[in-house]
Amino acid sequence: MDTAVQKDSEYALIEALQQGDASAYEKAVRAYSSGMLAVARFYLEPSSAEEIVQDCWVTVIDAIQKFEGRSGLKTWLHRIVANRCKNKLRSNKREVITDFSELLDPELAERFNASRRWDQPPRLRFDESADVLLENGALSDCLDKHLSALPETQRSALMLYEAHQHTSEDVCNILDVSASNLRVLLHRARQKIFLMVETFQESGEC
Amino acid sequence: MLMCKDLAEIASDYIDGELSTPQSLAVRMHLMMCKHCRSFIGNLRASTDLIQAHSYAEPDEEMMCRIDQRIAEALKARKKG
Repeated sequence: MDTAVQKDSEYALIEALQQGDASAYEKAVRAYSSGMLAVARFYLEPSSAEEIVQDCWVTVIDAIQKFEGRSGLKTWLHRIVANRCKNKLRSNKREVITDFSELLDPELAERFNASRRWDQPPRLRFDESADVLLENGALSDCLDKHLSALPETQRSALMLYEAHQHTSEDVCNILDVSASNLRVLLHRARQKIFLMVETFQESGEC
Repeated sequence: MLMCKDLAEIASDYIDGELSTPQSLAVRMHLMMCKHCRSFIGNLRASTDLIQAHSYAEPDEEMMCRIDQRIAEALKARKKG
């Protein structure tokens, strides 16, 4: 998913954006908007998130003139979105509320007994590689469905870390969460996908 | 002593190499003795690989076009201004 332009061509893209080249903007919009939307969805409901992403692109036209390249373009854009979302939440006196206390998904937690041993252990091994598993279109669709159903905070963290390949430090900065809370979000999201794949592999049902 | 549920709680940290050396050693010792946890760690790792390898749908083209339009208007205004 990470369509971020490679480093060598990123510099050329930035220069074209600074010159106000409309086709460069079209290219950048298609390369970076999905990540920007993932950031916005962490903070805001879907329609406000899209609006913020649109507003950010307009802001970029002026802001890109001062872009110094201390971070990559992707991280810079994601930070712009995050800051704008945080300002919006502050002005509406709202905040993102997430429960970071439970490390295990309730469905997985129930599979251990009182002695903290497996009561219902994993039922099978996922032996095939990810690429082979994803050749099954139904599994791929099921993955999309379950990713969409994740709590927004978990999904955004997962998308930025796994799909957009930000470092943990960048994700923490962009989403304004501590390193330990990011670990909780990632772990909870991965467990959901583990449970989904297990059910799918066993029954073919999504 | 590290139990199966304890291991499940820190499994992503183990996969990502985020555990301290003593914690990582305790996990490895447990995995040597517990086939269920070996399956769990293997499957969680496979699930993570799946998330990374998946091709995600981009935001819809209509949204992109709305952004293009706003940028075109802003660029035009900037040239005039």
